[in-house]
Amino acid sequence: MRAFAFILALSFATLLGGSQVAAQEGHPLKGSWLGTWAGNKIHGNDVLVVLNWDGKNITGMINPGTDNMAVKNATLNPDGWVVHLEADAKDKSGAALTYVIDGKIEDLRLPNRSITGTWKNQRESGVFKVGRQ
Amino acid sequence: MRFRLVRVFAPALAVSVLAAAVTVAAHHEILAKFDDKKPLTLTGVVTLVDWRNPHVHVFMDVRDQKSQMLNWAIELESPIDLQRGGWNKDSLKPGDSITVEGMAARNGSRQAWGKSVVLGNTGRRILTASFAAPPPPLSPRPTPRWPDRQPRLGAAAAGAAPGYWAYPSSTALVENGVNVPMSTYGLLQNIADASKVAPLQPWARALYIERQRRFLQDDPMYLNCKPPGGPRQFELPYGVQFVEDREHQRIFVLIGSGNSNYRIIYSDGRGQKGQVGGDDDNPLYYGRSVAKWDGDTFVVDTTGFNEDFWFTNGGLPHTDQLRLVERFSRTDFDTMKYDVTIEDQGAYTRPWTSSSTLRWVAGEDLPRHICQENRS
Repeated sequence: MRAFAFILALSFATLLGGSQVAAQEGHPLKGSWLGTWAGNKIHGNDVLVVLNWDGKNITGMINPGTDNMAVKNATLNPDGWVVHLEADAKDKSGAALTYVIDGKIEDLRLPNRSITGTWKNQRESGVFKVGRQ
Repeated sequence: MRFRLVRVFAPALAVSVLAAAVTVAAHHEILAKFDDKKPLTLTGVVTLVDWRNPHVHVFMDVRDQKSQMLNWAIELESPIDLQRGGWNKDSLKPGDSITVEGMAARNGSRQAWGKSVVLGNTGRRILTASFAAPPPPLSPRPTPRWPDRQPRLGAAAAGAAPGYWAYPSSTALVENGVNVPMSTYGLLQNIADASKVAPLQPWARALYIERQRRFLQDDPMYLNCKPPGGPRQFELPYGVQFVEDREHQRIFVLIGSGNSNYRIIYSDGRGQKGQVGGDDDNPLYYGRSVAKWDGDTFVVDTTGFNEDFWFTNGGLPHTDQLRLVERFSRTDFDTMKYDVTIEDQGAYTRPWTSSSTLRWVAGEDLPRHICQENRS
């Protein structure tokens, strides 16, 4: 069911956005990021991250509408454009999980820049890669 | 040998470049595409003149060291600038023999920026454009005013000769009191000065430095003809025209550069939301401007910007939290003082102000420069 909801959300996003990537010359993390956290058996391979910048804090949501994981402790170190994100979640049994994502912004100058790195929780880990939509 | 790539900055070339004395007014930072460390001289025959915005291109056949004929693209200023310098689209014709001095493209392609062009048959230097501001009047003329004594920001009187504002005293935002050398398009001479330019947040400073290190080649106005929103509309070579619609309490700012866009400043008491039917909070390139008069100063408050453009030459970042307070004062007939206060908690640590002046260009209509004319 979760996978279906994700695909539905993704289809809407694709329909709305078409193939265009919106320009974004402000804070490099702001926007919607779509990609994979490879090998994630609990929440699926695909991931959507929506991030915002209020001038002091990076806020956002992982898989809005499906998993609704609020981003916390998010940082961007401009020295190397290193990204750190955390989010609390629950598995299917209701047990608590905390995701930790560490990566780096690639192709900073492009609207469709990407974040590549790793993800992990208490049980699993893998490669994280998302591109800005 | 008719092709000669000058790898050493020869004295003769230095003299000729100085003689040309061209103040570049291109629509983007020349060094974004061309390398001033790679001067070159090309001699050959014109094959095509592409007389279009944003830049004129002259194509020429040049024989290389191996006697192979190669076609080069020479990029020049815009048609507007070349016409100001006495050129027209017939100044060069296919078949003309020319010598071009300039600089090579950074990417190694057969493109060059032309600093000077000399006709082979006559030796006449035909690229002699100069874009310096005209000399100011010997004595200041009084500020033109409406019958109610309010200063006129545009034409001096109904039916008067046309005119517009151009030749900005500063072409990139820098906080008042800071003096850092930079090019017309805000490219710093010394990148270590980056943190002096404005009170940048760490991420914004790093992004600004990144843009500077890449010679501003990622400028969306250059790459995608994005509009020059914010103070940038007053920093560009083709000026702005104020059209005052007093009946409806609004001023149209017609923008000569970019894509000849316009901006509307309302002084009818409305707020900054819902000014354009149906788009309410849709972020815009020029934001939503409301204004009032403070004595002889027109004070404009603008919010509602998007993040899709660079709001100043040089690539200082902004966010959608940007608020601009602009103060326009026509201090005499020929001078407009422009003070802008930047409030953007998303990119800066505190509000800051930058000031400049514009000169009245009398008797001329606003140049029509449309960047997209030559872009796909």
